[in-house]
Amino acid sequence: MIRFILLQNRQGKTRLSKWYVYYDDAEKVKLQNEVHRLIVCRDTKHTNFLEFRNYKIIYKRYAGLFFALCVDVSDNELTMLELIHLYVEVLDKYFGNVCELDIVFNFNKAYSIFDEMIVGGEIIETSKQVIINAVKNIELLD
Amino acid sequence: MFHLSQMDQIFLKSLADVVRTSRTTSQYDKLTFTTQTIADIKNEISSRQESVRYQALLKLFFLAMEGNNIRWAEFQIINLMGSADFQLKLGAQLAAHLVIDNQSQGLIMVTNVFQKEFKNGHIECSTTLSCLGTIANKDLSDSLLTHVLKLTTNTKPLIRKKAIAVLSKIFTINPLNIPGNLEMVIQQLQKETNISVLACGISLFCSVMKVAPKLYPLFLSIVYDQISKQKSNWLLIKLVRISNKLIALEPRFQGKLIEHYSRLLNQTNSKSLQYELIYSIMKYFKNHSQLYESAGDILKQFLNHQDPNLRCLGLECLTHISTSAGLMEFQEQILESFKKSDYFSKLQILQLFKDFTNQQNFQTVIEFFLKYSDLESNHKIIESLIHIITKDKFINVDDPEKLLLMYIPIIAQKIDTIDNAMRFKEMLFELLTRVPGLKVYSDQLCNQILQTYATQSDTLQGPTLNIVQRHTQLKYSLNHREIIFKSLIMIVGESVKLLKLEALINIIKFLEQLNILNCYESSLSDIDSLLFKIYIQIIKIDSQNEIIPQIEQLIKNIYNKLHNISIVKISFFYESLINNKQKDQLDQLFTLYEEDLPPINLEAQKLIKPPESLNITQSFQIDIEEIEKIKNSNNEQIEQKPIVQQIVQVEQNQNDQEDQNIQIQKQDENEEELKVLNNKVDSIPKKVFTINRDEELPPGVNQNDINQSKEDE
Repeated sequence: MIRFILLQNRQGKTRLSKWYVYYDDAEKVKLQNEVHRLIVCRDTKHTNFLEFRNYKIIYKRYAGLFFALCVDVSDNELTMLELIHLYVEVLDKYFGNVCELDIVFNFNKAYSIFDEMIVGGEIIETSKQVIINAVKNIELLD
Repeated sequence: MFHLSQMDQIFLKSLADVVRTSRTTSQYDKLTFTTQTIADIKNEISSRQESVRYQALLKLFFLAMEGNNIRWAEFQIINLMGSADFQLKLGAQLAAHLVIDNQSQGLIMVTNVFQKEFKNGHIECSTTLSCLGTIANKDLSDSLLTHVLKLTTNTKPLIRKKAIAVLSKIFTINPLNIPGNLEMVIQQLQKETNISVLACGISLFCSVMKVAPKLYPLFLSIVYDQISKQKSNWLLIKLVRISNKLIALEPRFQGKLIEHYSRLLNQTNSKSLQYELIYSIMKYFKNHSQLYESAGDILKQFLNHQDPNLRCLGLECLTHISTSAGLMEFQEQILESFKKSDYFSKLQILQLFKDFTNQQNFQTVIEFFLKYSDLESNHKIIESLIHIITKDKFINVDDPEKLLLMYIPIIAQKIDTIDNAMRFKEMLFELLTRVPGLKVYSDQLCNQILQTYATQSDTLQGPTLNIVQRHTQLKYSLNHREIIFKSLIMIVGESVKLLKLEALINIIKFLEQLNILNCYESSLSDIDSLLFKIYIQIIKIDSQNEIIPQIEQLIKNIYNKLHNISIVKISFFYESLINNKQKDQLDQLFTLYEEDLPPINLEAQKLIKPPESLNITQSFQIDIEEIEKIKNSNNEQIEQKPIVQQIVQVEQNQNDQEDQNIQIQKQDENEEELKVLNNKVDSIPKKVFTINRDEELPPGVNQNDINQSKEDE
């Protein structure tokens, strides 16, 4: 199960955060700082997984943004890496050559895309086309 | 309801305006900006115009993401969740998780809102389900369970998969909802063809197994059915994962899976599926050799892969091997992988070897890690090596002599932390206690280790351990090298009776070096006591007084230097004895050192009964004759070493030319690192020194007596 997802830039500013387990506000801030501190200093030679408390962090860097997932220890790391990549591909297809500013100004759309891929911490869809169709259907109603 | 005039609407800030202003505002003006924006939002969110409310909602969402508290807007957001306008509804649902938590009082209102939304079109229903999946708690789950169950039969796969995903959360929050409802869902899933819905169903089963594992028979057949016919990698990964849990509960299921796992392992190119299969096979299918071998081949590919992620995952799989023999099969790949790994992967590898090193691979493992330690992982490597050596009372060590003279000096040189220095000290003491004969080599050990210490400037480098001497209250700071230095001085002091005259003189000459004395100011009293022990021993050996004057002069020089080093005037306990040399005092000290030391003093033991098996008539003194015997037999073998080496060389020359080149190349590589050591110790170890692995057995206590007393009990 996915416990939370963070999108942070190199300065530690959180662009998106989605929490599938309850944490109070102070705990959320602490977690964001801790995760950023752990992943920002890692080299490209390092693995994309690391232990974090009793869970795992799977992260990937795209340009200036770190995409980090906190998952249970039993989850498949490679699947989560694929999920991150899928999300980036969907963003790229949706926004067309996506950059950080697209996420800053259209965070509500980015969250909608999350909701079409993950519900209650579980992956529900992995087809790029299905996800984009669902998001576009929502836009039609807007 | 607040109504904006047309003029006001022109000056209304959109989300983009707020975002731009926030990015350009300085830190000092941020608070003013935030306060003003919140004030605007409070006005706008009550507006009649939906576009205005929508913008206010988005701005509120943005401020929450910036770290501002928006819980005051809980009621407004829940209100907007029930709005007729889809855009507003969606925005409110996305923002809901920021204001609604387990303790929110507004959750009661949310129930009604959701119940209304579930009756709407499939898109509204879908977004509502996503929102429910994020904010569900016990009360909400119980109230909405029937509605969600109904949605699992919806015609749209989008709704069905989200409903099942939400059910998974509901069952986790309140397992009492499972009985009765799970069977219904399973019936529907048996007819299901959509892969996404099936995958959500498998996730549901995983969640149920966490809270109610005994219900596994309900979905065992559906899992098996899917694993035999599915082609989607993503679904197969989930199926393999749940199969692991099912095998643990129902071992007979394992047999059914062999054929399918073999097929999947041969057919798939997906690394994530391969990893999941290997993990499962390594853990549960050890008895099935063909499948295990196939998995082992793929595991070797993982360990040799360029991608560090795959190497790390390969090591993860190895933790399930659980036997040394199993690990030996992959040893080469693991050690190769170590050279390219990052810090965390190195820790994984070290943990593997800590658990699974045995006598057969002990030498290989020690030499490899000593050769490939780097700055980042050095302290962990040394810690692991000490653990491997001392594990189960040195169970992995078959040649303690080689360990003492070959590996321990290198380990000592690589130690750079106080914790490791303390561990090293304990290891050394324990080794020499369990193998008393090794003390004859204490002078060699001391020279090898301290030689490098003497050549480097070492005044309190690195972290220090602060200690206060009990009787004098003097404070000292010890670094890791000084801890080792003190322990070596103590060992040499204890072994003085076993050392030859030449060795004793060399030690005194070594201590005379100013570098050593400068570096270890805190150890002056230890040096004082060592000098006296050596002096006493030399007096005993040199009965004709040939060398004693020379030794006395050397010792006086050392004491002069010691006095010059310390800023505070220190008086050395034994110095006056050596200088004054009153015969009757020396005679008393001779007697003190020579007399037998009983295990206990009966007078002191009046209140505490001594152990029954303890032989109080036998002393703790070292059996010097026995040690001399061992030493002499070792010396014979060391003399034969050149002959043995020649024989070995001839045998090597008779081998295949290609193998010989590889061997020579490997030897050259090893020799560069372990150059000094190849000249010292016999390459074919002879088990002359045996390690006493009895539990807390002091010298002089008979094992037979202990066994007898146990039988009597």
